[in-house]
Formats: sequence, structure tokens, C-alpha cells
Amino acid sequence: MTRKVCIIGGATTPFDYGPTGFESIEGGAAECMKETQKDVPDFHLRDIDLMVYSHFSVHFGHQLCSEWIIHDHLGLVGLPHFRVENGGNTGGSALYAAALAVMSGHHDVVGVVGWETMDSVSQSQGSEFIALASDIRYELLVGGIYPIYYAAMANKWMKDNQVTEEDVATIGAKNRNNAMNNPKAQWYRNEHKYITVDDVMESRLISYPIKKYDCCLMTRGVAGVIVCSEEYAKKVNPDGYCTIDGIGLSSCTIRAGDRLNFPGWTERYGKGYPEMTEFAACRNSAEQAYKMADITDPLKEIDFGEIHDAFSTSEAQIYKALGLADEESIAQFLRDESTHMHGEIPMNPGGGLMGYGHPVGATGLMSTIECYYQLADLTRKKHLSKKTVVSDANCGIVNSHAGTGTSISNFILRRG
Amino acid sequence: MAELEKIKKEKQRKRYADAPVFTDKASYRPDDVNETGLCFVGHEISEDGKAMNQFLHYDQLYTIRHGWNSPFFKGLLDGKIMGTRCPICKDTWVPVRTHCWNLDCDLAKTEWVEMPLTAKVHTWTVAGWSGRSSLKRLPIVLVYAVIGESKVAIANELHQIEPWNVEFNMPLKVVFRPKKERKGIITDFHFEPAEGWEPGPMTEEKERIQNLIEPVYKWVSTLK
Ligand SMILES: [Zn+2]
Repeated sequence: MTRKVCIIGGATTPFDYGPTGFESIEGGAAECMKETQKDVPDFHLRDIDLMVYSHFSVHFGHQLCSEWIIHDHLGLVGLPHFRVENGGNTGGSALYAAALAVMSGHHDVVGVVGWETMDSVSQSQGSEFIALASDIRYELLVGGIYPIYYAAMANKWMKDNQVTEEDVATIGAKNRNNAMNNPKAQWYRNEHKYITVDDVMESRLISYPIKKYDCCLMTRGVAGVIVCSEEYAKKVNPDGYCTIDGIGLSSCTIRAGDRLNFPGWTERYGKGYPEMTEFAACRNSAEQAYKMADITDPLKEIDFGEIHDAFSTSEAQIYKALGLADEESIAQFLRDESTHMHGEIPMNPGGGLMGYGHPVGATGLMSTIECYYQLADLTRKKHLSKKTVVSDANCGIVNSHAGTGTSISNFILRRG
Repeated sequence: MAELEKIKKEKQRKRYADAPVFTDKASYRPDDVNETGLCFVGHEISEDGKAMNQFLHYDQLYTIRHGWNSPFFKGLLDGKIMGTRCPICKDTWVPVRTHCWNLDCDLAKTEWVEMPLTAKVHTWTVAGWSGRSSLKRLPIVLVYAVIGESKVAIANELHQIEPWNVEFNMPLKVVFRPKKERKGIITDFHFEPAEGWEPGPMTEEKERIQNLIEPVYKWVSTLK
């Protein structure tokens, strides 16, 4: 039997873009640790016995091994450290690595720090850098940016599932409006306005059916979280820790067009799945996490989630991959506002990638931290009002997602 | 003994093929592309004197060595779409894989096959925004299409169509650029509707797409 894994605290810097990049990455990491220490006075940096760093692209910082700069800055010289990189699922994969380290019994207290500095180049150049994670020989020159690949997948998915542009636009509005209650969120700090489904529908075309307000933000930001053994959690934060009861990580093809006929998927899920429309890696990793956490009916047993809304369309696709709805029910699930704060399973109360921001290496950790806050009753303290507090939150899901659905992780967190 | 050693060495040499000698060279470097390496080119300081930004320029030439995938990219220069086929399970792919990914085939080395220049739309989108190098070509119709009997879809642009008229499953032809314009890259070809294909009647969705791309045309016309 492996050991239980817990989270005792975590924090992000404010997420932002542009000239407001006021802190250095190592300064940001230090502030994340200081905020965590303020929330959990008995936690000390001396207790950490492994650091896992979470960072996507060297192209943005133009500094190889920038984790070494952060590590020195935190005064942790001598401790083991390594960096995890797995596209948009970098944060989730770093959390996965940290959880494995604790489960194995080899480490007790693991610091996970993630960051990205996407405002070091122009938005369009940034999009092109991210697209270097597509197969550059085949896809970079013809699509150019991820929203185009996602739009092509979503266009067919929406038709196959009778989901309309308005249905997914509700997600774009929801996450931004949730972010209006979160002072660290990029949407709160910059655009700072409540928006409607009509605003999403009228925003400029990115790639049909995706518009500007269906897309996440490019962000500078740092996030840090402390993953540890149950023994340590009970010692330093007995009333404010959460457990990681289920973990799952899975992969799918880098080129979306390749997944039409992957023999392994056919073997597992039957012919015609995932097509080019479903996130098989999300379904597979969720199934792993559910099994480990003894979840058989996710919609009933999970209270809320912080999931990877790179696009409002992909958040809708993720609902289905997580088993919250099927082909028959997904459109109605969206129309019922099931994932709004007043719905059955609120998703992205923290604002998600569209509201809080998407500094790639920090993103999955931001989702983890927001989920942890709900389970540790810290959301009221961190957000501006109780509007985005999930009442009676006992079980949350964290989802991190990369490529065109190329790597996806899911985690089940429960109140400690 | 020495003889045995010699045979062994010869076997090894054959296994690791001779290094290629590159003789057929082409250059189409635009005038404004230069390798400058690392260079700090400026800085700025905030009004309150507290924050400083520095500008670093870096420009580097990369060599993409296509190795065993070379027949596909060389095929583009010749106006051919080359695919690969597994000798065991007979699956065919473009984009190509040089070893079969069906685990039952134990990474069998695949064989090259010339694909027909016909395809079918699997899914599509109309892009109104793109990476820096593609902005002036907007709006772009991007399709994932299945070429011939390929088991997978390949992404490329669809030309010679009003963007709102694209349909799922519509038949396509592969069209190459004129020979002297080809670079052995994926944009050497694009798709066009197959001969005889006619768009269906106007629909609400088509009107929606028309409305969405109208500002894109306007915006692109303002680009230098
Ligand atoms: Zn085979």
C-alpha cells in the first residue's frame, strides 16, 4: 500500500501581462512561499526535501534551466531538484511527479514551483512559440497557432453533440465573471468587467467557432504548492490540509489528425473513439483517478473542479471526457448552467485559464491551489466575497491539459 | 581471428549507413533574414525608476534533418504525396511513420507508397487570427483531410472556396505550387474542391461565418 499524499498550502503571484511584470521569477517564487508560510505558520522551507520545478518553454525566458536561479534564490542549495516539462500539462505533470515522490516514501515534503513569462515576446510571436509544440514539420506552417487546431476539433464535436456557439459561450462568460471576484486574476487586474454571452458571441473571430472571449489569456505568473505526507500535514496544518486521493495521467497523439485510428484506443474504447473530437487522454486519466479515489459517479461525488479551459469549447469537451455528461445530455448540461456557481458542479470558481490566466508552467498549479483553497476554507479569505466559494466543498477535481489533448492529468482532492 | 574482426566491422559499417553527402542545394533566404546571434539591443526604465526592461535579440539558423522521413519532403518538391504502409497490418499513413505504431507489428519498418492526389474533408475551421508569419493571409480555411486510403487526417489549407462554403466530407484535390516555388515543405501543396463539387445553399451558419470574417478582411487590408 502506498502512502497518502496531502497538500498543506500554496499561493500564486498576481497573474498579469505586459509592462506590469513587476517581479522577477525568483522574486515571485519567494513571494509564493512567503504567502504559504503566512497561511501555515508551522510550515518552514527547512522541511522541504525535494523541489520539483514546472516550466514549459525556454523560448519565453531565453534562459536555460531557469529553475536553478529560483532554487538558489529560495536558499535551497543542496536539496535535490529537477524540472518537469509537458506542454500545457506541465503543472499537472509536476504535481504528478511530486505525488509519486511522496507515495513512494522516498520524500516527505515536496515543493512544486511553476512559472512562465509569456509577455517577453509579442502576443502573435507568443502564439507561434506555443505552436512549436505542434509537429513543426507538418502543422506549424499550415495552422500556425493552437486555437486553429482546437477550432477544427471543436467544430465537428459541437455538430456531433448538437452543442451551439451560444452553449459554449456561457463558459467564456462564466470563467471571466468568476475571475471578477479574484484579485490575483489577470481578467480582474486588466480588462476588469463582467461580460455576457452576447459579448462572447460578438468578440472577434479567432477561428470558427472560437472567438476572442472563448480563448484563454497569455500570462506572466508564478505558482507554488507544498505536497507532503499525511504525517507532515497533520503536524503543521491539521485543520487546513487536503488529500490527493486519486491521480491519473495519460497521453494522446501530438497531431490531432493521427488519433482517428490509433490501434491502442480502438483496443481500449472501441472503433471510432476518440475520433478527432474527444479527449481520450482526459477520459483515460480521469478513469485512473476515479478508480484510485473510489469514485463511480463523478457528477454526484465530485463537488466542483478547477479545469483546463484553454478554450470554452475545450472546457465543454472536458466535461464529457470527465463523464459528467454524454452525447445525449451534454447540450442540456450546458444550457442548465450546471457548472456555474449556482449549478450542480461549479467549474473554475477561481476564474480558470480564461479568467485567472495561463502562464503555462504555473497553470496546473494555480488550478491545484484554487481547488485546495476551497477544501481548506481559504477561498473566502483569498477572494473578494463569498460569491465564488463552493458551499460544503468536500471533493474537487483538478485537470491539466496539453497540446491538442496530447497529455492530460486529473487529480481528486478531498478535505483532509 | 583478425579476419573475423574485419567481417564484424564491415557488418557494423553496413548497419550504420554511410553519411550522406549533400550536393543539391537551394537557398531562398529573404533579404531581411540574418543570423545575428545574441545581442542586447535596448532597454527602458519606468517613470518611478523602479523597474527596468531589457531587449535581447536572438536569431538562429536551424537545420531540420529529415533523415528517414526525407522521401515525404523530397516528394513535395516533385509534386508527389508520399505515404508509408506497414507490410504486416497494411495500414497506410500521411503524415508518415517510418515504423508501424500498431504494437502487434513490433515497430515493423514501413514501405513508401505514392498516394493519390485526392482527399476528403474530415473537419474544418475558418481562421481569423494566426501566428505572426500568417497574418496577411487571413482569413484562412484550414481542413483536416484524409488523403487516399490514409488511416489519419492531415492538416492543410483549402483554397478556391468562399470560407463559409466548406462542408464536412467534401471531396478535395491536392494542388501543388508551381515547381520553381516549391521548398519541400508542407505548404508546397494545398487542397482545392474536387472538380464538379458545388457548394450547398446558403444557411444560417454560413451567414454567421460571413459576418464573423467581414471585419477580418477589413483588418487585413490595413496591414502593411
Ligand atoms: Zn502494422
